[in-house]
Amino acid sequence: MDQRYIRNFSIIAHIDHGKSTLADRFLETTGALQAREMEAQVLDAMDLERERGITIKAHPVRLNYTAKSGQQYVLNLIDTPGHVDFGYEVTRSLAACEGALLLIDASQGVEAQTLANAYLAVENNLEIIPVINKIDLPSAQPDECKRQIEDIIGLDSETAILASAKAGTGVVEILEAIVDRLPTPTGSFEAPLKALIFDSWFDPYRGVVIVVRVIDGVMRPKMRIRLMAAKQDHEIDSLGVFSPKATPVDELGAGEVGFVVANIKVVADAKIGDTLTEVARPTTEPFPGFKELKPMVFAGLYPVESSQYAELREALDKLRLNDASFFYEPETSTALGFGFRCGFLGLLHMEIVQERLEREFNMELVTTAPGVLYRVTTTDGVVQEIDSPAKLPDAGRIAKLEEPVISATILTPSEHVGVILQLCQDKRGVQKKLEYMKSDRVLINYEIPFNEVVLDFYDRLKTISRGYASLDYHVIGFWESPLVKMDVLVNGDPVDALSMIVHRDVAYERGKALVAKMRELIPRQMFEIAIQAAVGTRIIARESVKALRKNVLAKCYGGDISRKRKLLEKQKEGKRRMKRVGKVEIPQDAFLAVLKMGTE
Amino acid sequence: MLGLYVHVPFCAAICNYCNFNRGLYDEGLKLRYVAALLDEIARARDGTPADTIFFGGGTPSLLEPAEIRAVLDALRRSFAVTPGAEVTLEANPETVTAARLAAYREAGVTRVSFGAQSFRDEELIRLSRLHSAHRASAAVAEARTAGFDNVSLDLMMWLPQQTLAQWLVSVDALIGVGPDHASLYLLELYPNAPLKDTMAREHWSLAPDDDAADMYLAAMERLDAAGYTQYEISNVARPGRESRHNLKYWQDEEWLGFGCGAHSTRGGVRWKNRSATVDYIEAIGAGAPLATEVRTLSPRERAEEAAFTGLRLSAGVDLEAIRLRYAVDLWDERRHELERFVDAGILSYDGRRLQLSRRGMLLANEVMAALLGSSVLE
Repeated sequence: MDQRYIRNFSIIAHIDHGKSTLADRFLETTGALQAREMEAQVLDAMDLERERGITIKAHPVRLNYTAKSGQQYVLNLIDTPGHVDFGYEVTRSLAACEGALLLIDASQGVEAQTLANAYLAVENNLEIIPVINKIDLPSAQPDECKRQIEDIIGLDSETAILASAKAGTGVVEILEAIVDRLPTPTGSFEAPLKALIFDSWFDPYRGVVIVVRVIDGVMRPKMRIRLMAAKQDHEIDSLGVFSPKATPVDELGAGEVGFVVANIKVVADAKIGDTLTEVARPTTEPFPGFKELKPMVFAGLYPVESSQYAELREALDKLRLNDASFFYEPETSTALGFGFRCGFLGLLHMEIVQERLEREFNMELVTTAPGVLYRVTTTDGVVQEIDSPAKLPDAGRIAKLEEPVISATILTPSEHVGVILQLCQDKRGVQKKLEYMKSDRVLINYEIPFNEVVLDFYDRLKTISRGYASLDYHVIGFWESPLVKMDVLVNGDPVDALSMIVHRDVAYERGKALVAKMRELIPRQMFEIAIQAAVGTRIIARESVKALRKNVLAKCYGGDISRKRKLLEKQKEGKRRMKRVGKVEIPQDAFLAVLKMGTE
Repeated sequence: MLGLYVHVPFCAAICNYCNFNRGLYDEGLKLRYVAALLDEIARARDGTPADTIFFGGGTPSLLEPAEIRAVLDALRRSFAVTPGAEVTLEANPETVTAARLAAYREAGVTRVSFGAQSFRDEELIRLSRLHSAHRASAAVAEARTAGFDNVSLDLMMWLPQQTLAQWLVSVDALIGVGPDHASLYLLELYPNAPLKDTMAREHWSLAPDDDAADMYLAAMERLDAAGYTQYEISNVARPGRESRHNLKYWQDEEWLGFGCGAHSTRGGVRWKNRSATVDYIEAIGAGAPLATEVRTLSPRERAEEAAFTGLRLSAGVDLEAIRLRYAVDLWDERRHELERFVDAGILSYDGRRLQLSRRGMLLANEVMAALLGSSVLE
């Protein structure tokens, strides 16, 4: 295919700024799908994505567009994940493009994540077309948006397109701008094959489907290809494009975007960012920037019913087929029995995995409070990374403890700066930047221990800024910190699943808040229950749940035994969902009490 | 032997806390209802011996003595009602006079149970009851005059705004009145009870759960001292005056219910008659079936239900008898869970009988739930 008539682009947008709706309009306008065939927001294929209004995986779509000039073009829309947990996937999607639409909600303005992704696009030398969306809303402020584009992102807003994806206005202008303003791909057909993997997933019928942007060369069925980072060779089974349905093609050449099926069994073998080349004539330069995705947030997942352990393992195995960035290994808890220590890219990723296990596999789970990866140097000089408080060596053996740190960028209207700075300080942050923009926006940059952010930072940020502040972050390294392990004892027995690693200076306050929350969450039982927080052998907080004294149905009216049974069954069902630790029954949500501190 | 229950779904006013199967009194409807009852009883004729009859409601004392007599006659034609059978009539204090009570006795009623609920007028008003504390005592005196030697009173505790001391005023008044039997219930507010709205509007509150437990324990102690024996979670009696009819519910026996919404248990099957009064009358007229919610119990369900109902009794429940009857060994199966209650000191097991302590009775639901294996109801 002639590269002059190919345009590869992404849409950079904050959640809810209208990316999916705009993509739907492109499909309609280019005739890729008739309006009646369309279910709203075709690109967000997974139910979960549609429900949450977020895109997790990037799904490329090929649009055949006849420009006003009469020339036919192929426009490849490469969708990008819209959440900070999936930042690396965003970089690979952007690397597969020559240009990007910067989509901004006319009433919301520029948000931190949009800013971060716009910078990424600039770093990747992408041509950017600003689009101001939702201009039909009464609260739209297109001029303010333009000012923010210049002021905050530093782009020329003169050429910004005003649009309403919902109403269909500006859609053709955007398509024309893509054709006119975005650069053409510049790869070589003759050079050895070089293709960038920017997505892959498991299809139960075809095996792993790899989505690639061909940089140089051309590939055809039967060609033997090599995954350079994975060091694996495979034979191409079939090639195709998404238009938007999967459509087979005979070849994919330089500049094109499409999918490859090559008898690969697990997505972990076709990692995002890896370079695909021809075995017979390999490229000498793999596409730069590949990195192994490392889980950053860890939590224990346990079946409510211990008999479901094998089922949980099977479900995790299946999920893993489709999600290489998620990690798990068996873990045993004295409190919760057999389960798994799982690693995730971030909190949203964790929630998604949890929800899929519950929904698609009907698992009932107890999840322990999420934590981060710590680096421990023991007195014998050995350095190890630990993903669970249970793995922390005895205090006497620790020479040095380090915790991961993020660089957090917050963009907020100026009226909320005070409370946000206070929050960052409370979370042990170190201020790196505070910049007042002309357009009443303030750019705040802090280095903050990741652990503090994992707990409740984002929720609190949203609350104190009444939803106006936005956040973007990435992990930048490790800090040495005076960290301690805090245990929770229920009736004197330590509950390992409730242990956490905290900064020494906040342990007392955390402990107090945690046991207070636990007291609310644990129902009264036959006997008084003592809940204590301890650091080492020192008790730092204590609460008690008084013994239950009354749970009786006084009247058994007119011989209606069935109703009575129904009530008892309901009560029993409630208990079944609790975990028994020693003699105490602890409800599922109490294991996540630490996330609920400070909430009513 | 069978117990026979007759439901009377009429009330002169609807109490703001009650969600039993009842409606406002209507003379014409009552006449049609009694005719339907007589029909249903005649249809059930099988000559089985029965030794208890219970008129429950609603307000059964809204039926005329002649109507009660007619129903009793019908029951005697259909079943072998033993001489000396216990025949209970639930009555509201404001519906009776000495003469009317004498007429009920004449008709064959042997036991009256008055819904006194409280001996404090302030509380009776809050409950939207039609009688006064004085009327309740007077009704008992009238029953004595009419010759009843088996009189029961119902009291409710944990009423809105009620303190422990105020509750004990009612308990003491009851002891002063001296019924042969008393039932003490904790007020249970069903989700849409009008009383809930009133409470919100008037800023009335309920004492904390722990105080409710204290009310229960203090009342039982006073009744012990006054010569009553607690024989069930909510019931006390003078010797020999236990409610023989209600004991059938707790001793895994059989009963038939007549009238709308009445429950029956026989031969391991439980069912309920159609609930709505008019629907019931029309079904009788059309010869249509009355039974709804029919459950045929497995031996396991029968064993579990015998156990949790029996556990209500002060004497406890004989698990060995249940094992022999249904071949289900509940102690063996549920031991692990039950022993937690034994350890907590609220339950005892002597190798045969499982018995709640008085403190344990307040936690009966916890123990009963542990007796259930798996869910069988939706």
